[in-house]
Amino acid sequence: MLRFFVALWAAKLVMFVNKLRGNLRDDWPGLLAFKLCPRFLEYIRKPKLVITITGTNGKTTTSNLINDFLREQGLSVSHNDWGANLYAGFALNLMRTVNIFNKTIMDASVMEADELTLDDTMTMIEPNYILVTNICKDSLRRNGHPENIFNHINRTFEVLGGKTKAVLNANDPISSRLGENSPRVYYSVEDLGLNPRENIVKDISVCPVCGGNIKYNYRHYRHIGDFFCDSCSYKTPESKYVVKSADLEGRLISVMEGEQETEYPLISDNIFNAFNVLSCISILRELGFERSKIADFLGRQKITEFRETIVEFNGIEYYTYGAKSQNVSAASTVFEYMAKEPSKKDVVLLLDELQDRNHPPETVTWLYETDYEFLNSPNINKIIVGGAMFLNHRLRMLLAGIPPEKMVCVENEADIVDHVSTEGIDKVYVLFEIDYVTKAKNMRDRIVEKAKEIAGR
Amino acid sequence: MKTVEYIFAPYCNIYGEFYNMEYLKKSNDEINIIKSSHKDEPYFVSNHVDMIYLGCMTEEKQEKAIQLLMPYRDRIKELIEDGAVFLVTGNSIEMFGKYILDGDRRIPALDIFDFYSERQMNNRHNSLFVGEFKGMKLLGHKSQYSMAYGNFEKPFMNLDRGYGMNTDTKKEGIWYKNFYGTYSLGPFLVLNPYFTKYILRELGLNDDLKFEKEIIEAYEYRLADFLDRVNY
Repeated sequence: MLRFFVALWAAKLVMFVNKLRGNLRDDWPGLLAFKLCPRFLEYIRKPKLVITITGTNGKTTTSNLINDFLREQGLSVSHNDWGANLYAGFALNLMRTVNIFNKTIMDASVMEADELTLDDTMTMIEPNYILVTNICKDSLRRNGHPENIFNHINRTFEVLGGKTKAVLNANDPISSRLGENSPRVYYSVEDLGLNPRENIVKDISVCPVCGGNIKYNYRHYRHIGDFFCDSCSYKTPESKYVVKSADLEGRLISVMEGEQETEYPLISDNIFNAFNVLSCISILRELGFERSKIADFLGRQKITEFRETIVEFNGIEYYTYGAKSQNVSAASTVFEYMAKEPSKKDVVLLLDELQDRNHPPETVTWLYETDYEFLNSPNINKIIVGGAMFLNHRLRMLLAGIPPEKMVCVENEADIVDHVSTEGIDKVYVLFEIDYVTKAKNMRDRIVEKAKEIAGR
Repeated sequence: MKTVEYIFAPYCNIYGEFYNMEYLKKSNDEINIIKSSHKDEPYFVSNHVDMIYLGCMTEEKQEKAIQLLMPYRDRIKELIEDGAVFLVTGNSIEMFGKYILDGDRRIPALDIFDFYSERQMNNRHNSLFVGEFKGMKLLGHKSQYSMAYGNFEKPFMNLDRGYGMNTDTKKEGIWYKNFYGTYSLGPFLVLNPYFTKYILRELGLNDDLKFEKEIIEAYEYRLADFLDRVNY
């Protein structure tokens, strides 16, 4: 234990110095703690309530909602909301909840957690709840494939057993199998008539139990829906929290819990955020919070600004919209949203990652895992792409059947602004890789400036 | 018509491998793609095929696929000897070696070529390569948990840049008659238009490509970029 206290004190000291410098989001104290004491996460005292949120998509939005609600209820909460969802981020998160004597001084910890390292970290932290939003195709460089992600998360539940309750998405044929020997609670959404398109690359190819075909009574998006296997008894498990109906445009869902049906506001008009809100409701209800308080809270929330911002000029709305490029499930889902959201629009793709420079194995493969075919839609007026990948994007769009006259591909990103329409459309979407919020906003603002310049002529 | 069998299509489409077949078909409508699943007897067992494609799959599916193909090992050898075109990408190449090691487990493979593979699920390798085959520069992407070991006397490519079958060799893949196997994953044919033309010619077809100008421009740009960036 001496080693642990040395690590705690050293890390707390660095944390204090960081605080004086106004730098509260630096992971270095957590990293230092880990280096000095590799079992730091095991020895540090945990608050009474620890909630872990993991999964391929939706963990940031969901953990932000849970954190904000708990704080609003008067709880003191530590949350790794600065994007550090690995060991160092957890160590710093928990360090904030104890004093120098390792005595708990906060009520709760909310942890957004990377899926692949879950078995190395959460087995030491032993959270009260692990919420898994979904398991989808992600970056091949980082995550390999969904089976690999499943194995890492499942190993975590195997070690934790009855210590941790799993809150799971019943509509996900991959993640709903998790935690067979843990207490499980499910949430799901009934048929909303969304009729999503088929993806080129499936998140799940065959039944994970018997190798049969996975079929659907209905789907919501990608592989998420009411599923069953045509060869064995594997199917959507029974849910405690069920969305019976939804008005996505009106941003409202009706959730059945036992005999009681309650309306809750949504934070946006898309189905994937409806799942995020439902998962948040499920965990807050498991904690015993009143339905009316949750509904009231949700009514005052909106999508995190870094994922979506809007500026209006001359009757056109200019959006920045996070798309997580090399996370192919997220990018495909956003492409489908672009097609289904009925406004006439230009779409700007700013999807090249910094990793394209440092870790290039994905530079072409992800383009062919992502459903560019969805962008071949009459309401999409023009697609403008810039950057070093421009010729690859052009080829991919041609193979997706997008007419050449609807695409502009330029090597220099700065040239994009010259090609965005200034009339005849309702919206411009700048789809950006989420590491580049500022770059996307700058691009959007330059597009608006150009539109103003043209209007002033 | 030329018959191309895309074996275990539902298994072998995890990194865009589907587009290898899609692109061949788009380039030449004399190609008939037959997709067989893990639940069917492979088409090649009882029928003539001109080409077989096997792509990357998850490790669990790879082991299942070996079991499913094992009864047809002799037929596969016969097809290879008879000069059928085989394109094998990603970790599917390991199925044609002697065995795969995974910790304490030794997974027997088809034992058609003299090499073995070793898997380390906690160690993902990512890299690019530029290799040479019959005067063509071929580009490859690797993202895998395993490496292969053996003599590789006749590799598919000799690499100018990047890692071969393991990090100590510049020999990449297996080339025997018309069998072309490489660890490179995803849409290998889209990445390498000149090799795609070569495959079309091997099949006795016109080698014009769909969007030929655009795919070659993209290839040339990428080749220059790879040569600039891949320094290992």
